[in-house]
Formats: sequence, C-alpha cells, structure tokens
Amino acid sequence: MTAPLAWQHPFARVEDVAAIFDARDYVADRPLCLTTKLAFDLGKPILLEGEAGVGKTEVAKVLASALDTPLIRLQCYEGLDASSALYEWNYARQILHIRLAEADAARRAELDTAIFGPEFLFERPLLQAIRHPGPRPAVLLIDEIDRADEEFEAFLLEILSDYQVTVPELGTFSAVQRPCVILTSNRTRELNDALKRRCLYLWIDYPSPDTEREIIMKRVPGMQRELAEGVTRVMQGLRAVDFYKRPGVAEALDWARALMGLEIGKIVPDVVLETAGVVLKYRDDIMRLSKLDLDALLQGRAIEA
Amino acid sequence: MTSPTTLIDQTLALCRAAHAAGLPVSQARAIDVFRALSVIDWSTPDDYRLALRTNLVASRTEEILFDRVFATHFGQQPAGYGGDHIMAHSELLHGTLDAGRANEAHRELLTEADTFGGEEVTRRANLAARWDPDAPPLAQVIRELARRLATRPSRRSQPARHGARIDLRRSMRRSVRHGLDLVELARIKPKTRKTRIVMLCDVSGSMDVFNSFLLQLMFGLQQALKASRTLVFSTQVSEVTQSLRRRSVDETLREMSDTVRHWSGGTDIGAALGTLNRGVLREGSSRSTVLIVISDGYDNGQPARIVQELAMAKRHIRSLVWINPMYGASTFTVRAAGMRAALPYVDYFLPAFNGRALHALVRGLARVG
Repeated sequence: MTAPLAWQHPFARVEDVAAIFDARDYVADRPLCLTTKLAFDLGKPILLEGEAGVGKTEVAKVLASALDTPLIRLQCYEGLDASSALYEWNYARQILHIRLAEADAARRAELDTAIFGPEFLFERPLLQAIRHPGPRPAVLLIDEIDRADEEFEAFLLEILSDYQVTVPELGTFSAVQRPCVILTSNRTRELNDALKRRCLYLWIDYPSPDTEREIIMKRVPGMQRELAEGVTRVMQGLRAVDFYKRPGVAEALDWARALMGLEIGKIVPDVVLETAGVVLKYRDDIMRLSKLDLDALLQGRAIEA
Repeated sequence: MTSPTTLIDQTLALCRAAHAAGLPVSQARAIDVFRALSVIDWSTPDDYRLALRTNLVASRTEEILFDRVFATHFGQQPAGYGGDHIMAHSELLHGTLDAGRANEAHRELLTEADTFGGEEVTRRANLAARWDPDAPPLAQVIRELARRLATRPSRRSQPARHGARIDLRRSMRRSVRHGLDLVELARIKPKTRKTRIVMLCDVSGSMDVFNSFLLQLMFGLQQALKASRTLVFSTQVSEVTQSLRRRSVDETLREMSDTVRHWSGGTDIGAALGTLNRGVLREGSSRSTVLIVISDGYDNGQPARIVQELAMAKRHIRSLVWINPMYGASTFTVRAAGMRAALPYVDYFLPAFNGRALHALVRGLARVG
C-alpha cells in the first residue's frame, strides 16, 4: 500500500471541529465533535446510529463542505451489489469502439488493450472515493448500511480495511488519501460485529429542547424565537407519544418552515391539526393526534394516558 | 489522572472493568483507545470518557453500559442504575418458572393437559424434553420448513451455466472478447427470491410447557435462514436474533437468559405487535416479509389493541402465519380472547404442538405465497 500523502487535517483540538460545525449551522454536541476528531486522527470510519431524521447524513455533508472536498454518497438498499457500488465496464461504449476500430486497420491492433482502458470504466462511489486524487480526502458517505444485505457488509469490510480495489484488467488501485468514511444506520438490524469493530461508534439521540430550538433558529432563516420555542415544545411532546413514526428533527424543521410559509405567528390546536401531515406520515398517527389533548401539548404539559 | 503512568494504569483498569461488565474489549480495541488518548486532551474528564467510549462500544446499549462502568469506576452513583442489571443466569430450561403462570387465564387447561391420559402425556413430554440439537426428526423438519419458506422464484434472473433461457445482453458482452462473434451463449435461470422471516415468539408463563420446543424452532429457523429476525415477548419485547446466531446452543441459551428478563411473564400481544410495527416491520420490502407469530393467544392486554396493531402489521407483510401450540389438544377451542381477536387477520393458522403436528405445519407452509 502506498503511504498516504502528508496531509494534516485541520482539527488540532475538539473546539476546531465544533467551530466548523457551527460555521455551517449544524448544532453538534461534544461527543460528535470528539468522535469526528478521532476519526481523522486514527483514520477510522465513523458509524452513526440513531432514529430517522436526527441529522446523521447531514454530518457527512457538513464535513465535505468544511474540507472543501466532494461528498461521495453510496445509498444502500436491499440487493445492492459490488458492481453498482464499485465499478462497471461501459459495454455500450466498448462495442461502439470495436465497430469503429473495425473500419480502421491501424487501430485494430491496439483494440485489445484499448477497450479495457480507464475511459471505459464506470466508477461507482467506492472506487471514486479510493481514486480521489487528494490532497484533501474525499468524504465517503455510506448511507443506511442496515438496508444492504449482509453479503455487502462483508464486502465493505474488505474495502474499509485496505482501501484498495483490484480491477483485473487494469490492476490495483490504492487510496492516495484515505477517504473520510461515515456510515449511517437506522438500526433496523444489528450490523456485523467485524464491521462495527473497525468503526468509531456514536449514537445520535433526539436533541434536548434547548438544542432543538437552537437548530430551528439556525436552520430556518427569519425564525422568531417564540415560534421556535412553540415548535420545539410540540415536537418534544409528540415524541413522548407512542406513534408509529416519531417525528425527527427533519420534521421539526419542515414544520417550522411550513409555519413560516403560512405566516402563522402563534401555534393553536387548529394549526397543529391542519399541518399535521408535515410532521406525521401515517394516517393512524394523524387520527391519534386528533384525539390527543392538544392544549396540553401546546403548553408543554405531559399528555397521553 | 495527572501523570502518564497513572493514566495508563487508569485506562487499563477501565478497560478491564468494561470487559468484566460484558463489553467486548479486545487487545486491538484497547490499543485503539491509547492511540485515541494520544491525540486528545485527556485531562478533560468528559473527553477522556468519550474517547474511550467511542472506541469500546458498538451499540446504544453498550454505550449506556459503558457510561455506567465509567461512573462506577470513579465512585459516582451511576444514573438510572436499576441494580438488577447483572443477574445470574436464569433458570431458562429448568423448572421453577411459575411466577408468570399465576396471571394466565388458562391455568386449568395446563393442569388438565399435565394430568392427561397416558399416551398423550408421553408424546408431549418427548417434545418438551431437554434440548437435543441432534435429534434428527425435528431438526430435519425445521430445515425443510426453512427451505420452503425461503425459496420462491423471482421474476428476475441470475446467470446459470445450464439455465433455461439465453441472456442476450451478457452474450453480447462476452462476444466483445471474440471480436463480436457469438461464440458462447450466456444463460440464465430465475433468481430465488429472498423471503424475510420475522418471528415473534410468546415466552409468557402460559407457554412454559412448550419452552424447549420454541427454542428449537427459533434456533433452527434462525440458523437456517440467516436473514430472518427473531423476537420474543411476554410483557416486553426483546430481539434475540444475535443470540440465536451463536454457533453453540449453550452460548445461545446463556446469552438469551442474560438479555431476556421477562421469560414467563404475563402476555401483551398487542403491545408486542406494536413494537414490531414501529421497528422491524417498517424496514425492508413488505412483499417479501412473512410474519410468524408463535403464541397460544392468551392475552392480558386489550383485544382491541391486537386488532389495531394486526391491521397495521398486515400492511407491512406478505402473510401472517400463526403457530398455536395449544391447537390440536383434545380440549382445545378458541377460548383465548386474544386469539379470537387475531384470527380474522391470520393467513395461515397452524397446529404445532408436537412433532407430528409440525410435519403438518411444514406442509401448510409450503403454500405460503
């Protein structure tokens, strides 16, 4: 393996990480900042787990923007295989090339080597991240890894330990600069122990009321403090209810934006019911909401029997 | 934590404490901890804890456990410490499990079954006998069951040397190597579609007599179908998939008795289904999921809740199989209120109270589509 280029990451102290998150309007707590710093220091991937919509994916976006490098995203799904994650040959172009070469005797000789050249290779996210020229590392986001099959996890394990890929026709590519890898999981199933062992682990919880208010104020321009507080109160109350899908921070932001768009200054029960579709995505949940004591919800008192 | 020497001792002691508490602290991980310490300001106690934690844990539960270990190590009263967390291995397989039976509605039925005439008792005693992983008949039946559950032809295809159909696209690609002459034909056959099994198993007091049968069923199916998920419930729900993946039965039992603290409790089927609806069932493709509920349907909860949650669950699964170990006993009628509430939603209601009945179950499952 080639030695990584000398690139000093800009996070000498935990506060430096906090500063870049802050500059990009992401409210990050100390554990997240520290884990991020360690990921760069130790060259390990970060495994972020947490409920849907708590800002796991956003971490990668912020890092990519802070380092001013491309964000390479691999969205996992059931049935994801190596060819759509790593590389694929461009067959159509190869055939076209052969047809052209047939008309031209001079080019026919070199055909064999030519059609397996790098220009006929479709780079998929993992290969892209490894071949990223540097000097700053690319940010590789492997999103919702729990959706992929376990075979894919094993395959990923191999990539994440060596950061090199072999294409039989072309040779082996080693990472010039190891990408900064962020894996996210909604924890719908437990991941392979071996994969976990290679990662730094962090659980991202729903934010505390104060943090959530801060997030809303930062992310929604022109937000009044009072309205942000109202949104936070309702969200925290709703999360205590046993819904099929509890609203995350993403829903809180959507709702705050919706209220701004509708020019609503004060949250009243009717407003909550009318805009419920922004926050709750199951019909059963919305039905349930209409039966709750909304006055208590708005005042931040405990609801639900 | 002032000098490096005490820091090293301190950290090693913490690693040992974490290991003793059940965290998988390996040498490699301990080394990672020290590498991490060299790049952070470890005089900040919180950073010190976080640096250790992020390296040593691999799940939310372990995170919480580690925080407790850390707090205890520094003599603080850990937050939310219940005191019952570390308990001796429960008597999972050995008698004395009647705490939960008291609140079960059908005690009389159990007693009746216990004192039933000669042959019946022997047959059931065989089934409920001590765990025997090598007993061929049941193991075979389970393997067969797994095979039938997991093989379903897909409309997609996969490469196969002697497949029935010709794969034109791949044949073209291969021809590139021979200057576009079709030298060899690539063939395909239908892919096998993966069925995801989610098994929800009742381990409440009323199911005690079937305990070892249930364990064999869960263990066998989980081993045969790696992608399936197994959860047990009484008044709470715990996922036991990871424990069932252990190679040895002993290890599985030890781990399960450590993690599942509600064997032989009461029953709340509705709440258990609710947990499933909020987690496991929401993921993955609903058309490929089969939910298997193993329960006698005796329930302390609200039948209305069962109806509501089953209606929701049905939208996330292809079919619902209900295995009722009581069904088939001579005295059986659908007496359990929970069972009655659930029946309209059940696609396959199957008897599985003994070996012979399980054969019938396998035949029944062959039709699950």
